[in-house]
Amino acid sequence: MKTKEKIDVEEALGVIWTSIQRGNDNFDKVLSVIKEGVNENIMDELIKDNYVIKEGLKIRLTEKGGYLGKELTRRHRLTERLLADVLEFNREEIEKIACDLEHNISTDLADSICTLLGHPKECPHGAPIPEGECCKKSEDKIESIVVPLSHLDIAEEVKLSYIVTTNHDYLHKLLSLGMVPGAKLILHQKFPTYIVKVNETQIAIDSEVANLIYVRK
Amino acid sequence: MQKLIAFVGNPNVGKSVIFNKTTGQYAVVSNYAGTTVDVTRGTVNIAGEQYQVVDTPGIYSLMPLSEDEQVTRDLIIREKPNIIVQVCDMKNIERSLHLFFELSLFNIPMIFVLNMYDEAVQSGIKINISKLEAILQVPIVVCTATTGDGVKDIIKNIPSAKISNINIKYKYQNDIDCVNNSLKEKLNFSKAISIYLLSGDKDIYKYIPENMKSFVLDFCAKTVKNEFKMFAAQIFNDNNNAIIKIIQEVKSVKHIAQKGFLEFLGNLCVNPFVGFFIMIAVIFVMYEFIGVFVAGTVVDYIQTKVFAETINPIIASIFDYYNVSLLIKDFFVGKYGFFTMAIPYAFAIIFPIVIAFFLFFGILEDSGYLPRLSVILNRVFSLVGLNGKAVLPMVLGLGCGTMAVLSSRILETKKERMIVLVLLSLAIPCSAQLGIILAMLSSVSYKVTIIWLLCIIFSVLLVGKILEFYIKGESTPFIIEIPKMRLPSIINILSKVKMRLVWYMKEVVPLFILATAGLFFIDKIHLLGHLEKLFAPIVVKFLGLPIETTSTFIMGFLRRDYGASGIYDLAQHGMLSTTQILVSSVVITLFVPCLAQSLMVVKEHGAKNATLIFCSITAYAILFGGALRLIVSKIVSF
Repeated sequence: MKTKEKIDVEEALGVIWTSIQRGNDNFDKVLSVIKEGVNENIMDELIKDNYVIKEGLKIRLTEKGGYLGKELTRRHRLTERLLADVLEFNREEIEKIACDLEHNISTDLADSICTLLGHPKECPHGAPIPEGECCKKSEDKIESIVVPLSHLDIAEEVKLSYIVTTNHDYLHKLLSLGMVPGAKLILHQKFPTYIVKVNETQIAIDSEVANLIYVRK
Repeated sequence: MQKLIAFVGNPNVGKSVIFNKTTGQYAVVSNYAGTTVDVTRGTVNIAGEQYQVVDTPGIYSLMPLSEDEQVTRDLIIREKPNIIVQVCDMKNIERSLHLFFELSLFNIPMIFVLNMYDEAVQSGIKINISKLEAILQVPIVVCTATTGDGVKDIIKNIPSAKISNINIKYKYQNDIDCVNNSLKEKLNFSKAISIYLLSGDKDIYKYIPENMKSFVLDFCAKTVKNEFKMFAAQIFNDNNNAIIKIIQEVKSVKHIAQKGFLEFLGNLCVNPFVGFFIMIAVIFVMYEFIGVFVAGTVVDYIQTKVFAETINPIIASIFDYYNVSLLIKDFFVGKYGFFTMAIPYAFAIIFPIVIAFFLFFGILEDSGYLPRLSVILNRVFSLVGLNGKAVLPMVLGLGCGTMAVLSSRILETKKERMIVLVLLSLAIPCSAQLGIILAMLSSVSYKVTIIWLLCIIFSVLLVGKILEFYIKGESTPFIIEIPKMRLPSIINILSKVKMRLVWYMKEVVPLFILATAGLFFIDKIHLLGHLEKLFAPIVVKFLGLPIETTSTFIMGFLRRDYGASGIYDLAQHGMLSTTQILVSSVVITLFVPCLAQSLMVVKEHGAKNATLIFCSITAYAILFGGALRLIVSKIVSF
């Protein structure tokens, strides 16, 4: 188990890393978020231990601070995916559980979860999941159980897990055609376009779209 | 004021068939998502009261993606129908419920129609109607529109339409109420509009009064913390959860594992290998039927037996008998006369070909083959920045380019519409022109026909590729629903052909007569001679064609087929060599579209773009023709 202190440091670095990613690097604003969300004095500790540097009005992460923040975010979002897609937890519950679990997962375990889930690109809320070492390697040691539709074999019957939301309009169209999370799909063919059957409907999609649809075997 | 009934529903659920059967008027009915581009209106008498009825383009959701989806929402907001009849495919009721929830926010009395009852029974689907009625709180009618069963009940139930008070539990209900409260006094349908605003739908901004726009938009952005996407997804999620609950209560499915022949055929049509050969077979049948049989045999018969030998002499003798002045006589029975050119061309050549094409197209459309064709051709179209959805306007363009330009609205982005438009104007010959060109080419040799075809395909790919590169914007991914294959219904097809013919008579034939009159005057003031002299150097020196073809090219400007048949005439009189036939038919195919289509292009994309398109097309056609002549004379011997 990690100490309460260590957990707070990680938590705070995660918050700082994501807010910088979102374009908010104002020191005072980030500070107030951390004070409220983690604890009052954590920022002084972060600066003292050389995780964070204050540059004028801006906040910056050092190399080791950035690494820890990114890793934590990755573990958090992967955990969310695991809870939502495989363990099928309610969307409201996953946030809290993920916040506890994220501190107790090693990098190796995170890579295994990532592989199991087919190297997902986004968390259930649509935020990007930072790439890990496992995503860059092409060979997986364990078999994924959540994969993009394009990785399926023909005639395989699967359950739709989620659709990566790059374009809201097309997500909406897929959803209204019945491609909703939990729906049962059968892949009919892959060429010249993908054809899947959902309920009583056959839908043709191109490979670009098939790469965005993640299903659970 | 007449009360207004709006028919709304997902694409391909039978709205148009029901519309036809209730109003006795013909909307274009089809088995392809998105053919109803313009709205169709009619009237119906219910219990002594006259109602106006409007058939809207099929939509999946009121949050619009393409232009035709916008049409439906705009129509509801602007015209405020008194009653909405939502038609749904009973097999896919889940999807219709999404739309139902969206429509229920408008507080308009509704009727919910479960269509395609027969297909649902075949698939083993049962729905508890009285339970569903209690949940949705609106009258429900079950029917099978294609056979007419239950359609009368829709009319009967119109007076009992009800506002649904169904209450979906939205997670962000407070936010919605907040926006709604600020809009309620100023705006109709504020509840629905609030949701669109919070979903970041920019198209809805036009309905917000100018003086409160910035306030409302800021407020919405703050409420959802700029995460519009998340809000929209949550709404969808909430709707979806409600639907799952309803479906569990009312729907049961008994699995019937039986594969019919039609399903088997439908699967073959999308098979990459067999489907390709089916496509070739379809094209071949189309060529034999339209190009050889109708454009050759039938047209020939009507032209020589009916017009040249029977009608024309009678009309000429009438003019001789009354001894009218030469100018008037010329106008009616001269070289470019009303009775000698306009009428025979319209009714002897174009009419049979257009009927034949619409018949053929109707079969493809009604059977459900077109979406399957778009699966086969998706990859080819993606080479030129389009996707399989472009099959509809492109194939329709082989019938009538003017209609095709209109139908290009089903494409989702400006870029795609522009590419389709240019390709239609440049390289897709309409059935009238195609018939004549094929008749001419097939009388020469297969080799020439194939070279002509290769030239056209090459031009489509080359120009399409250039446009894909130069026009800004993204290409859209390909997502379409493939409806069940069904035996085409003769009544459906005939009513469609009739509808399109009426349109053709009204819109195109008058332009045709006008064009002949134009030619007549150009001829009388000897402008044709001057134009011929002006263009002769290009035609004779560069394209290597006889001087007489110049006037046919100029005529082609007015009507594509005038030009083609002018060349056919010359060829039949032995005035063109094989190379000349090839070059002239390629140039006339690539040359600018007819007057009607050009006007439609101007209407859709503005005069400036249209001029640019036409100038480039003319230049391309001439340069390509010259190059072809050089290459053919060097390497091919006929």
